[in-house]
Amino acid sequence: MIATVIFFGMFFPLSILSEFIFVEPFFIIHVTTDLAFSFGLILAISFMSAIVIPMNIYRIRILRKKTSRIGTSLIGAIIGASAGACSCGPIGFFIISTFGAGASLATAFLTNYEIPLRLISLGLLCVVYFTTTKSISTECRIR
Amino acid sequence: MNKLIPIIISGIVVALIVGVVFPSYFAQVVEMQELRDKALSIPKAERQLLNLDHASPVLGSANAQITIVEFGDYQCEMCHSWFHNTRGTIIDNYVDTGKVNIIFVDLAFLGSDSPIAAQATHCANDQGKYWEYHSILYYKQEGIDNGWASKSMLKEYASELKLDSDQFAGCIDSAKYASYIQDSYNAAVAVKVSATPTFYVFDHENGIVEKISGAQPLSVFVKTIDSML
Repeated sequence: MIATVIFFGMFFPLSILSEFIFVEPFFIIHVTTDLAFSFGLILAISFMSAIVIPMNIYRIRILRKKTSRIGTSLIGAIIGASAGACSCGPIGFFIISTFGAGASLATAFLTNYEIPLRLISLGLLCVVYFTTTKSISTECRIR
Repeated sequence: MNKLIPIIISGIVVALIVGVVFPSYFAQVVEMQELRDKALSIPKAERQLLNLDHASPVLGSANAQITIVEFGDYQCEMCHSWFHNTRGTIIDNYVDTGKVNIIFVDLAFLGSDSPIAAQATHCANDQGKYWEYHSILYYKQEGIDNGWASKSMLKEYASELKLDSDQFAGCIDSAKYASYIQDSYNAAVAVKVSATPTFYVFDHENGIVEKISGAQPLSVFVKTIDSML
């Protein structure tokens, strides 16, 4: 349930903000070849976040373990979400028109380095996934 | 208590995504719909929704039944995508056949080079090459504020188009069209355009206007235009 909410809660807004999904005037999914990799990364980050965050919630609640991994996975998810989401769309326009030059620099950075940032985000999520899987299997075996 | 903190944080993040991004987007959709309804309710003669005083020259026949008004930024990746994936077919099938014309309005907000690039197109227009310069910018685009649209590069592009270099440099250096770009920005904000690219498709004969937000695929434009013709 949590995984489904996280996946769709990330995938749809990010795809809409990145202009891969349009709902007006018609609902349409449009991925051009030049932006296919970017779309694939959004899909991968949403998928990994949907796996990793619930795993860590399970680890905290059921196994009663303190974990910093959920923080890392959230950082990964947030980096992935912010990269590229603030460029030409309404959020970018709102941020730049409200906060001025500093915001403009930040959005330029997030847009120019969209792919590397999303790859870093995905890398973080993958690392957290493998370490969490390993520790859960060890902890369950002990119990 | 410490164990609950990560759960609370993740809950806040999910709530922010689901509770803020989605509702704000759908609020915008509703706003677009209201704007459209408002536009449709205004008689044709009085429909002056958009201030196009400082827009581009018209691309295509001045007497075309349909006008596409594009609000764009030369550093916007999605404008670049629309330019390369959709615009060409619209020009071939509708502009060159006299059914549609295109007007570009600068909504230059992405970084400090965007207004300069927009001014450069109007400087090129002084020498009759607005659309050629417009196209060259979308072929040269490489990101935001990373040098490709600096003043020196803009002057180089003018040389590539064989424009009078001194006249062009004088125009750019004196910021001759800075007020045009600011006026266009204000015009966009006045009609609640808050993203690039955004399009208004006007059917002059039937008094219909449709707003299309984002670099939507060709099929959306074809469907919209064909429903008007």
